[in-house]
Amino acid sequence: MRWSFILNIIGMLILILGICMIFPLLFGFYYKDQSVLPLMKSMVITIASGTALIICFRGVKVPYISHREGMAIVAIGWTAIGFFGAFPFYLGPEVETFVDAFFESVSGFTTTGSSILTNIEAVSKGLLFWRSLIQWLGGMGIIVLSVAILPFLGVGGMQLYKAEVPSPLPDKLKPRIRDTAKVLWKVYALFSLLQVFFLLIGGMDFYDALCHAFTTMPTGGFSTKNASIAHYDSVYIDSVIIFFMLVAGINFSLHYQFLRGKPLAFWRDSECRFFIGTVILLIVIVTFNVYGSVYETIGRAFRYGAFQVVSIVTTTGYATADYELWPPMSQVILILCMFLGASAGSTGGGMKCLRVMLYLKYCYKELFLLIHPRAVKHIKIGGVSVPEDVVRSVLGFMGLYVGLFAFSTVLIAGMGVDFVTSLASVAATIGNIGPGLGMVGPVDNFAQIPYLGKWVLIWCMLLGRLEIYTIIILFVPEFWRK
Amino acid sequence: MKVIIVGAGEVGFHIASHLARENKDVVVIDKDPAAIRRVSDNIDVQVVIGSGSSPVVLKQAGIKEAEILLAVTDSDDTNLGACLVANLISPSTKKLARIRHADYDEYHEAFREHAPHIDTLINPDVEVVKTIDMLMNVPGAVEVGEFADGRVIFVGIRLDKSARLVGVSLSEIFAKTGKQSPLIAAVVRDEELIIPRGNHKLEAEDLIYFISEKDKLRDSLSIFDKHVEPINRVLIVGGGGIGYRLAALLEKNYVNTKIIEKNPDRCIELAEKLNKAVVLHGDGSDQELLKVENIQDMDVVVTLTNDEETNIITSLLAKRMGAPKIITKISKFSYLPLMSMIGLEQVVSPRLSAINTILQHIRRGKVLSSRSIKDEQAEVMEAVALETSDIVGKPIKEISIPKGALITSIIRNNTVIIPTGSSVIEPNDRIIIFAKKQAIPEVEKILAVKLEFF
Repeated sequence: MRWSFILNIIGMLILILGICMIFPLLFGFYYKDQSVLPLMKSMVITIASGTALIICFRGVKVPYISHREGMAIVAIGWTAIGFFGAFPFYLGPEVETFVDAFFESVSGFTTTGSSILTNIEAVSKGLLFWRSLIQWLGGMGIIVLSVAILPFLGVGGMQLYKAEVPSPLPDKLKPRIRDTAKVLWKVYALFSLLQVFFLLIGGMDFYDALCHAFTTMPTGGFSTKNASIAHYDSVYIDSVIIFFMLVAGINFSLHYQFLRGKPLAFWRDSECRFFIGTVILLIVIVTFNVYGSVYETIGRAFRYGAFQVVSIVTTTGYATADYELWPPMSQVILILCMFLGASAGSTGGGMKCLRVMLYLKYCYKELFLLIHPRAVKHIKIGGVSVPEDVVRSVLGFMGLYVGLFAFSTVLIAGMGVDFVTSLASVAATIGNIGPGLGMVGPVDNFAQIPYLGKWVLIWCMLLGRLEIYTIIILFVPEFWRK
Repeated sequence: MKVIIVGAGEVGFHIASHLARENKDVVVIDKDPAAIRRVSDNIDVQVVIGSGSSPVVLKQAGIKEAEILLAVTDSDDTNLGACLVANLISPSTKKLARIRHADYDEYHEAFREHAPHIDTLINPDVEVVKTIDMLMNVPGAVEVGEFADGRVIFVGIRLDKSARLVGVSLSEIFAKTGKQSPLIAAVVRDEELIIPRGNHKLEAEDLIYFISEKDKLRDSLSIFDKHVEPINRVLIVGGGGIGYRLAALLEKNYVNTKIIEKNPDRCIELAEKLNKAVVLHGDGSDQELLKVENIQDMDVVVTLTNDEETNIITSLLAKRMGAPKIITKISKFSYLPLMSMIGLEQVVSPRLSAINTILQHIRRGKVLSSRSIKDEQAEVMEAVALETSDIVGKPIKEISIPKGALITSIIRNNTVIIPTGSSVIEPNDRIIIFAKKQAIPEVEKILAVKLEFF
């Protein structure tokens, strides 16, 4: 582990973050609100810290980054970015304690969307834009961004990319990692722009359209309104957002293929079929479940059911309805959606459809082998055998995910939080969804979670965004041995 | 520029890493997931798992946009198949294939003219025999390379303790020996490569790289107290493809050759094919056999079996028994840096030869050939001076040559000029540049070949 080198790169990440603070500052100047001073202070602190790290640890250019160093850079880098991203919140008047600011910042970067703000609309525009921007940066990944813009990362970029991109089988779209990162960001930016355009047509003002596009594409879920998307009460805006949430929940390499003129790419990909099929099935179930019991017409039942299912399964976390008033079956389905998550290689969280598919196939294989003990059977995805070690890592992931979920739930419950809330708050943060149930339901927020509980949830959000291994590895003593 | 490499073995791996370092778009195809994993973990290239001769796999790798296909698996059939399929899908792609079997030797031209239109067939065995031949003819040479169609020779030698030049600085060479010194491009001392200045003192055990015209090589070598002695007796251990080719070449040059081979059937085959060479059945590491065959009287011993360890042990044995010059074949790259530590200086590697040849063929445009030396610490490049480039039309001392680079010779109308500060490079001269690794991008820039470079 070459620490000076690792800290040098982290310094650059912090510097990039500091430069990004210019954008909310521009909005602050435009609206002449109270966010200007805190943002300027944070920008100075962040840029100064980043530059200091770069200067203190300069001169160590190494041609490669080892696997371990890649993990360390990503894990520590994300924590550091969450930390510095918290300053605009902390220095402003809206957030009082540092843990709340840190929670809000990490919730942004990890595209969770859980908030501690009780009255969002009272918050200054500049700060709200920062809140949306950090989700957008976190969605495609700040590391992937730096791989795209820092040329010297070269080969080492692959280690960083693998540690950040949410997929058990990271795709390389272009021969060079830098080009891959660029392509991903371009596709991401293109869809975000499209969404801004469609939201503008729906009558949203530019500021809100930008903020919502910046939180839809990363499947983040921060809204600038207290009532989330329900505020607009528009079928058109609901459908635009449903569409873009689905887009964000699909593997970005498929979007890239689609844009390169292969319209069948989505259909040919078995994970995408599984994802879309599951979403449709769940929408149908939830629609019929809430029809009659909550909503009188099938149209309304479908509108709210579809929005909520898509919002939760893509791990976005917007709300158009208070699903805590829905029948238990719908609530359970939504909780299960939190675990399922979106596709691998998308900006969504959760366990990812690909892993669930692999897991189900693995279970089937075990049963099959009980019947035919001598059979040779491979686990295949889309007709291609999945290597043994990938299957093993997926099984390990599922185990760790459930284990860490249980562990964190016990911790939260130990702090006196009620049963449903502790369960749902951990599920919603580790899956990077946003709202849960109970005290942290769609119309509530995370402000009432105890002090230590917030730290646990911050940890859960990082675990979920970096797909468990990258974070948990820091807690394994072997990792620190020479 | 996109390059597709079929085969992630040692050859494919090293070419891929070389090209990726030069910022080319590289896609590597191999059947073996473990080999592919090694590539994707270490090199910034795209990988595809599958057979390189499958049209589906080649399409997936993007053969249609690729400028060059390198088929370098260990199997001739796969390589030919890959080129054939590539020719069908994407006829404009340039194809290079590594073909080892001697049976194909006569068909290189045919493969170029007819389908699959392979532009270059590279036979590592042939390349390695060429290298062995050069090493044999340059005494004391650790590395030999040819430039400008063989008119300029690039040689690396180790300075003996007893040599006159030990402790002499470069500017004093003429005074000491009375002869014009060849251009010394680099000196490697303690594994570190430096470009020496006039006041640089040579020391014993220095590895010296110099550049000389072919005609003056004998003189140049004598300055370093290396004397060309005629090669009359050669012992080859290992009668595989390379051993046979070498024996046949030596036979043609009237050299007494003995060849030791373990496999009796192969011995019979060799005896049938070779006329004058003595074919001996036995183990190369058998000390008795070596003694009986007068190993100490041999001019050169070449160990060429397919087993690395046997080659190393046999070479060490031969060295101990007094053979004056030993050439060892090593395939595993990881062994190469160790060889000089155990006293085996002259090493050939078929894979390295193949890589060097492929790199030469890949660099079209104005860089005619290039060759990396000393674990890729530096490179020697032959290029055409473009009329529009910065180096043309003014004295060399006024050109801003990047630090760590050196213009070593200018070839104009078949004459070789060793340049001084006042020499002027004219358009369409061919120049040979020596550059340390860090200086290569800068050198490419001053050559202004960037646009044409790939």
